[in-house]
Amino acid sequence: MTKSRKEIIGIKSVSKIYNLGNTVVKALDNVSLSIFENDFISIMGPSGSGKSTLMNIIGCLDVPTKGSYKFNDEKISQMKDSQLADIRNQKIGFVFQTFNLLPKLNALQNVEVPLVYSNLNRYKRTEKAKEALKIVGLSNRINHKPNELSGGQRQRVAIARALVNNPSIILADEPTGNLDSKSGSEILNFFDDLHKAGNTLIIVTHEKTVAKRAKRRIEIFDGKITLDE
Amino acid sequence: MNRVINYLLDVVRGVLFYFSQTKLRTALTLLGITVGVSSIIAIMTVLATFEKSTEQVVADVRTNVFYITRENPIEVSFGNNNKWARNKPKITWSEYEQLKRSLKLTKNMSAVVAEEPSDRTFSVGKKEFKSRLQSFWAADGDMLSLYKYDIVDGRNIQNVDIQNRSRVAIIGSAIKDELFPYANPVGKEIKIDNIPFEIIALTDEKGEIAGQSMDSMVGIPISTYLKYFGGRWNRTDLQLVLESDSIENIENATDEAIGVFRAIRKIPPGQPNNFYIATNDQLMDTFGEFTSYLTTFIGLITGISLLVAGIGIANIMLVSLNERIKEIGIRKALGARRSDIFMQFLIEAILISVLGGLVGIVLGLSFGNIVALFLEQEPVIPYEWVLYSLQICASMGIIFGLYPAIKASKLNPIDSMRFD
Repeated sequence: MTKSRKEIIGIKSVSKIYNLGNTVVKALDNVSLSIFENDFISIMGPSGSGKSTLMNIIGCLDVPTKGSYKFNDEKISQMKDSQLADIRNQKIGFVFQTFNLLPKLNALQNVEVPLVYSNLNRYKRTEKAKEALKIVGLSNRINHKPNELSGGQRQRVAIARALVNNPSIILADEPTGNLDSKSGSEILNFFDDLHKAGNTLIIVTHEKTVAKRAKRRIEIFDGKITLDE
Repeated sequence: MNRVINYLLDVVRGVLFYFSQTKLRTALTLLGITVGVSSIIAIMTVLATFEKSTEQVVADVRTNVFYITRENPIEVSFGNNNKWARNKPKITWSEYEQLKRSLKLTKNMSAVVAEEPSDRTFSVGKKEFKSRLQSFWAADGDMLSLYKYDIVDGRNIQNVDIQNRSRVAIIGSAIKDELFPYANPVGKEIKIDNIPFEIIALTDEKGEIAGQSMDSMVGIPISTYLKYFGGRWNRTDLQLVLESDSIENIENATDEAIGVFRAIRKIPPGQPNNFYIATNDQLMDTFGEFTSYLTTFIGLITGISLLVAGIGIANIMLVSLNERIKEIGIRKALGARRSDIFMQFLIEAILISVLGGLVGIVLGLSFGNIVALFLEQEPVIPYEWVLYSLQICASMGIIFGLYPAIKASKLNPIDSMRFD
């Protein structure tokens, strides 16, 4: 079954090395990983294991020191800054632990932010953003600013923002880390729905219960993948 | 093209939204530029008003006229110049008479003394002219036609008056209005410093030029002036008004006058003139020179104040950059390119300075024109300075916004998002 699906992310022998004065830190050490369409993956590991670095590289926020990274058959490891920005904008939906909403913008404006950088006109932007907010069930909150929303609602605005450009993958970094258990499980149920709808999801977490929801589990330790099942 | 415009509009909208969220700070940043620009515009407006009214004055006099005076009546001199001017000899009556005998190309010539304004008392009976008299003049010839005055009633000063040093006077309508409100003044008596004069003419109302009432004047024969007010004849400094027979001939006539006057004063060749000679056009030019000095000076001062304001912009932009590191990180993660962030900050700086400039222009124009109104001048808009100011503001925004914009665009999204 795996072979019939399209490979979205192809990481081959990727290393990320930081030079901190005299010491050399290998945040990622010769990692290879393939992610396919409609995968639902959890990446687990203790802090300092390299999971954030892996996530940054997958999310095109960072480039590897060594190795090759292909996203939809495009060579990311050789791209310029502006091309990476376009990939982030068009192909990747980010969900962060601390939501990372812009505090001065209301829910609708926040969801519109990625569309601003896609050169969409204002009316199309509003239309698409409203649609995305409808999917996460916040149609009645579009004019609220983040500080007028609960944690769960804020994270749902962030998910709407991640979905608004129909990305190839959704990348969630500890999406339930700042939420109480009830809102957390709501968000996870929502991820299940997204997976069933055909989306590709990657969740970075250190909670076993969260990781178990995924269909494929990856564990990382000391910059190496120790488990992939 | 449409795409570029839409993109810029988007950025502008975003920046204006940000301003609306930080009103006080934006207003304070605007203030620096507003003050600088409004002072340029105000001063330029006042200057333009003066220029306009000076043109009026000059246009009011015949164009084939030229003057010989001790020093340039309009010149604004600095330092040594002034001292040198004071050393120039006064123009005397005998010089005037020699000149009058020798000049061939000059049709008319007149010696004039003018007290502008005059501090003498002008009274009728016990009633005294209260406001300061704008012009008390004395002439050897026809001043009225030269300055385009019309006589309402009475007669002009004639040669016989000058020969006899008659105590006769021509008065402007402002004098009549105050001292003879209900009577015809012609034939009545007016006392100048308690010396009685017979009023021989009343001139028609002429209104104001350059904020000065042209009707607040009294004129008498020059010989009479020299006898009663001039002390010994040669002590009074005369102004000579000369008229060539045509405009075409004015240059030859001035050249002749210079040559003859140098001969009278026995100035050796190679030495500069120790008198001043100018046509109306040249007088206009000196005024232009004066305004250009002033413009440079004001330019320098406002330049400094705008520099300070510009540094203020750069400062505020850096502060707002530090406040928005996290926001920039988020925007970059969501797909903003370096150029997007760069444009956002640059346009913010440009908008803030241009907005400040626009407010400054409005304030400056209002202030300048209020001054013009007080001087009873028509309002003017110095369009070129409005344009310059906007250009200066835009380029200031670019110059002082550049560094913060580059700095913002280079932020790394990963580290910036974690910034609190």
